[in-house]
Amino acid sequence: MRTKARNGIVILLLALPAALRAQDTQLPPDVERLSAKAKETVEVKMDGPMLRWASKFLSAEDPDERKAAKLITNLKGIYVRSFEFESEGAYTSAEVEELRAQFRSPVWSRVVGVRSQHEGDNVDVFFRIEDDQMAGIVIISAEKKELTVVNIVGPIDVDQLADLGGEFGIPKLNAKTLPKSPIKSVAKADKGDQK
Amino acid sequence: MTDKNMNLEDELKSALRRQQAPPHFTERVLAQIAEQNSSTQAVRTPWWSIFTQPLLRWAAVTATAASLVIGGIHYRTVQRERTQGEAAKQQLMLALRIAGNKLQLAKARVNEINATPSTNRSRSEEE
Repeated sequence: MRTKARNGIVILLLALPAALRAQDTQLPPDVERLSAKAKETVEVKMDGPMLRWASKFLSAEDPDERKAAKLITNLKGIYVRSFEFESEGAYTSAEVEELRAQFRSPVWSRVVGVRSQHEGDNVDVFFRIEDDQMAGIVIISAEKKELTVVNIVGPIDVDQLADLGGEFGIPKLNAKTLPKSPIKSVAKADKGDQK
Repeated sequence: MTDKNMNLEDELKSALRRQQAPPHFTERVLAQIAEQNSSTQAVRTPWWSIFTQPLLRWAAVTATAASLVIGGIHYRTVQRERTQGEAAKQQLMLALRIAGNKLQLAKARVNEINATPSTNRSRSEEE
């Protein structure tokens, strides 16, 4: 009896790190399958200590870096995997659906789900809610020749984050023209998706 | 004037009378001055003369070499850390920009859907 209890404790101790790792999901493991087909890949894996360290090198004089320093203050990790493919159809919608399915749990709320038949851009944004607080965000962007999965662990100001993206090739959107409630718009987008 | 006073005067005159300098007096004085000067210079040794001692010389060489090595290692460590930090910063900025870009994309698409007239939207939904 005592041996069984001891074995149980040993197994628990051995399983603890894995369980802790699983809590802070970095990126879905399935996403790695797509790297073989990709022309170009981007991989960023930064945990809390790495973020703190990198933040020391951010310049207070550069406006973007100043924003970045503010954004990452309470973050526990940023994980990005982006694939660019040679041609369209390098991945199937089922593969993307598998990725999305991993965030269909009570802790995750899907706040944006856009399906654009014409442009071929499908974007999903999931928020992780813990104790009524935002504890993370996952973005899955499936474009014709590009697939990107972003997982940000920890509370983050979404507007400020989007602001940083405005200087990456897509012009900044006028805040006045943005929908007041994205969830309402998502419902419409979802409706289109179901069709 | 008394005889006593007269004697004293004679003695003083005799004592203070001009006398010829002994032969080679000037040469001897100059030689003595030169000797004194050279002995003073010998006492004032420069600070670096301590390195004339072999043990101290080796200690100084070792200390200098050690300082250079430690300084070099420290400099390289700082440089390496700075390079790695800059790379980490670039990665962080890239990750944030990709994330921000995709959020912008989502917002743009939602915006488009909202901007589409309801009739067109329902038509596209039907399609």
